[in-house]
Amino acid sequence: MLTIKNLHAQVDQTAILKGLDLEIAPGEVHAIMGPNGSGKSTLASVLAGREDYEVTQGSVDFDGSDLLDMDASDRAREGLFLAFQYPVEIPGVSNLNFMKAAINAQREHRGMEAISAKDFLALVKEKSALVELAGRLRDRSVNEGFSGGEKKRNEIFQMAMLEPKLAILDETDSGLDIDALRIVSQGVNAMREAGRSFLVITHYQRLLDHIVPDHVHVLSDGKIVKSGTKDLAMELEEKGYDWIKEPAV
Amino acid sequence: MADTTPTSKAFWEGLTPSVSSGLASVAEAGRAALDRLPVPTRRSERWKYSPLTAMLAQPLNSPEAPHGIPEDVHVQPIPGLDAYRVVLVNGHVVTEACDFPVAEGVICMPLFQALDEGRLQGGDADWSGYHEREWVGALHAAHAQDGVYLELEEGVTLDRPLLVHHHVTGSNVAVCPRHRIVMGDQSSAEVLVWHSSSSEATGMVNALLEGHVGRGARLGLDKVQNEQGKIFHLAHEHVTQASDSTFRVHSMTVQGHWVRNELNVAQKGRGAHTIMHGVYLPKDQEHVDNHTTMDHTVPNCTSSELYKGILYDRSTGVFNGKVFVRQEAQQTNAYQQNANIVADQGASINAKPELEIYADDVKCSHGCTVGQFDDEALFYLKSRGIGERAARALMVQAFIGDVLAGMGSEEVAAEVETLLSERHGWM
Amino acid sequence: MKMANEEDKILEEVTGKAYEFGFTTDIDSDKAPVGLNEDIIRLISSKKNEPSWLLDWRLKAYETWKGMTEPEWPHLSYAKPDFQAISYYAAPKAKKELTSMDEVDPELRKTMEKLGISLEEQKRLSGVAVDFVMDSVSVATSFKDKLAELGIIFCSMSEAVQEHPDLVQKYLGSVVPVRDNFYGALNSAVFTDGSFCYIPKGVRCPMELSTYFRINEAGTGQFERTLLVADEASYVSYLEGCTAPQRDENQLHAAVVELVALDDAEIKYSTVQNWYPGDAEGKGGVFNFVTKRGIAHERSKISWTQVETGSAVTWKYPSCILKGNDSVGEFYSVAVTNNMQQADTGTKMIHLGKRTRSTIISKGISAGKSQNSYRGLVQIMPNADKARNFSQCDSLLMTDQCGAHTFPYIETKNPTAKVEHEATTSKIGEDQIFYCLQRGIDEEQAISLIVNGYAKEVLNKLPMEFAVEAQKLLAISLEGSVG
Repeated sequence: MLTIKNLHAQVDQTAILKGLDLEIAPGEVHAIMGPNGSGKSTLASVLAGREDYEVTQGSVDFDGSDLLDMDASDRAREGLFLAFQYPVEIPGVSNLNFMKAAINAQREHRGMEAISAKDFLALVKEKSALVELAGRLRDRSVNEGFSGGEKKRNEIFQMAMLEPKLAILDETDSGLDIDALRIVSQGVNAMREAGRSFLVITHYQRLLDHIVPDHVHVLSDGKIVKSGTKDLAMELEEKGYDWIKEPAV
Repeated sequence: MADTTPTSKAFWEGLTPSVSSGLASVAEAGRAALDRLPVPTRRSERWKYSPLTAMLAQPLNSPEAPHGIPEDVHVQPIPGLDAYRVVLVNGHVVTEACDFPVAEGVICMPLFQALDEGRLQGGDADWSGYHEREWVGALHAAHAQDGVYLELEEGVTLDRPLLVHHHVTGSNVAVCPRHRIVMGDQSSAEVLVWHSSSSEATGMVNALLEGHVGRGARLGLDKVQNEQGKIFHLAHEHVTQASDSTFRVHSMTVQGHWVRNELNVAQKGRGAHTIMHGVYLPKDQEHVDNHTTMDHTVPNCTSSELYKGILYDRSTGVFNGKVFVRQEAQQTNAYQQNANIVADQGASINAKPELEIYADDVKCSHGCTVGQFDDEALFYLKSRGIGERAARALMVQAFIGDVLAGMGSEEVAAEVETLLSERHGWM
Repeated sequence: MKMANEEDKILEEVTGKAYEFGFTTDIDSDKAPVGLNEDIIRLISSKKNEPSWLLDWRLKAYETWKGMTEPEWPHLSYAKPDFQAISYYAAPKAKKELTSMDEVDPELRKTMEKLGISLEEQKRLSGVAVDFVMDSVSVATSFKDKLAELGIIFCSMSEAVQEHPDLVQKYLGSVVPVRDNFYGALNSAVFTDGSFCYIPKGVRCPMELSTYFRINEAGTGQFERTLLVADEASYVSYLEGCTAPQRDENQLHAAVVELVALDDAEIKYSTVQNWYPGDAEGKGGVFNFVTKRGIAHERSKISWTQVETGSAVTWKYPSCILKGNDSVGEFYSVAVTNNMQQADTGTKMIHLGKRTRSTIISKGISAGKSQNSYRGLVQIMPNADKARNFSQCDSLLMTDQCGAHTFPYIETKNPTAKVEHEATTSKIGEDQIFYCLQRGIDEEQAISLIVNGYAKEVLNKLPMEFAVEAQKLLAISLEGSVG
């Protein structure tokens, strides 16, 4: 699904990713953990195609295509989804219009006809129930006036609407209370299936109690320094990140 | 300092004086003022961003009345709008294209006819005095043409909107339409003034609209400027409001080579409410100037003003909004917001939101912003698969959406949006 | 409405309060005959023993001024000064060069003490170096030796003309050219003294530099000229205080201040202006028509902070030309008007360089029958990529007789610039006052608390010694003046 080889990236001339390798097979859930400043969110931004991030070396293959060769909207249409750490508010753009535009962009990309209003509303109803946002999206602008928890649930709702091949969750657990965390995790788990992969970026292990990963990687100073199973996350929770840095060689 | 004010005589000398006997004294005062008043130039504070120099370069002529309806005029420019209709071409009413409302308590006819019938007596012929104070007003008065007279008697509601469609055609024409709207107490009406022109038209439109909104009455006015060709459009609207009245106006500039809108609203009775909204999206080298004056003269009134503009290419925009709160106007609540996006290198905006306040128990605020489309929001849209062009279109629609939403009818708002989309290639 | 009557009484009492600094100092003064002509300018120049280039410059300015007209655009109405009825030069007759504070005329010393700026006191307590300008002539500059060790020049303009002619000639008129405006041109022709300051490369001035201006002589105009040059990577904080005695006729004050911040330099310029505002009927008071402008080179910063409580008429726009890339301009202002005072004040931020940033915070407070206007220009030129401005202009109205006006001009010619302007006007909160009263705080103190809170964002920008003085001034200007 996703093959990252020797990825180097920088922002404003500062190198952040320094030779990152990662392989995600279809249907797998990978978690990336790491201390603040290790490059976790940079990885998410680079994969989604944010323009301020410059890739200086390496390659990323996404389901047989060169990901780095595509712009942000093409990546999305090909099935890459990023759940933002800080979803932006877009006053004046209604949630439903926004989602309709996104779905139709994807359908057009696949040579399909635009979705009918009826089907679209049915889809909204089904998917918004998944994250307990049913009836709360209509007449509101994208993320405007949403609480932190609602914004994160809206991200998962959008993921459910767009049915991506690979979903990247960037610190989706930050700022969530336990109820919101449960709702968000349920939404994600409901979408787990053979052809869909997840990359879960988090600072804390608690999210991984709800979304159980197949593999856990530790990112430090722009590289993956350790990989393992879910037990690695438990170990990190106990010992902190310093433990990783010491035996790094 | 040497006075370098350009002489204006050559510019207007060849124009036909106003032919209405009912406007004779106004026209005469206007002509006298033209000799007296300097042409607005960059050195005059009110005109510093919109000097008239370019317009004055070419002498104009007064066009003849058209024979029938010119071919390129769509008498009903808005699909699906069920409205009464008055069609004017070059300041002349085209009777055969009109559909005047006829109902108990509704008086609607060409302005010249209303003058002939003595509906505007003596000092009532002009309400603003602009023709003696302002060069542009004097120029209009001296050459005032026909327009619409609409009067609603007490308690009458106009059952359909009135569409006033003004079309310009010909070269170097000077066109001065003049309208009057008189809303009796507790009456209600929606009026749409639609300006169009043929694509080869050149010259000047100097349009005056005077209105009075009686006690508890409600007037909604949508003004849409969609003029092709090279027209200098000078609009001045003067509206007074009695107590508990509501006046809403939307000034939408879809297209215009050079546009100056002056909108003056005075509240003369307690409890009046005013809404002034506007949108301008000039491109190429177009120029759009919105000058508004909101005059709060009595207590307990409110006003809300919102103008939004996007400046493309090498276009220029001006927003000058003045809110006056006179000493008696306690408990005024006045709000004004102007938001601009400078979209391209070479475009510019000059904004001057002014508050002049002489009463203390008031809540007044204004805000003005100049910026860009939010890169974060654009990226968010793109990350959901929406392409660059579509994403920008969504952002534009979101930006002007709140202004469009407040217009008198959905059909007009939709048509404005469609015209803008076609013009700017969002679709 | 019973409350209103009581408030009116308090209002009357307090606004009737005499101007606390209204006293004259009775010392001999050497005063030029009234009127303005070339001979007067030659007289000023020769009295000050000036080089010929400066006389020529003055004469050129005079020629320019004669061809100019007084500006009409401010939101002010006043009787235009009669420029032929003013004496353009009045120096205290202490001819001898002063080498220590003890040599200062005892009367003058008393004046300073009354002003609460006793030089010794200043020296001991706050380490402020003071240049004291009285009726256009600089009287004494303290701490000069200490500053000299660092290569800092801080002296009167007259002295600078004699001792550092190269620096003066290089920078004088470089920020405010002779033909800039009516009062600026007049100042260039007839300025008599002022302060000069030069901070060498890389030097951080270790103390606040301060000038105290005072108009003493009747029928004089004060035309001081201040020039402050911060060389590369230097820093200076400069304070300016102003008072004038109480007189029936209007006194004219038309100063020019020029600031030059070279690459990476920072200048903080603070003013507490408390000229005599005239009496409750609007008689007398100072006409304050001042041109203040700074030019900021690469990565430099100019910050203007002002507390304006005095003058009958104020016309003043401390401005920044943000010429260098990444330069920063700031303007923080509190302007209080009471009785018949009129103020038209604000700033201009001219963004020329890339990534230039400016901030404008203006707090107007109107009381009595006064008129208080903010007028500001934010101009983003085509090359000023990613320039940023934020402006916040608030007005507080204390009575139903006064006016508060906001006239911002925003001119943007760059698609990457961001400008935000916000303005609000409101009445002093009756519920806030009541809340204080209910907690046992009296009305005067309540107003003082509320107004100081309202102006805090600006007051916080002042150096400590000035902040205290400014707070007192606000309280004095406004006690009980709620309408």
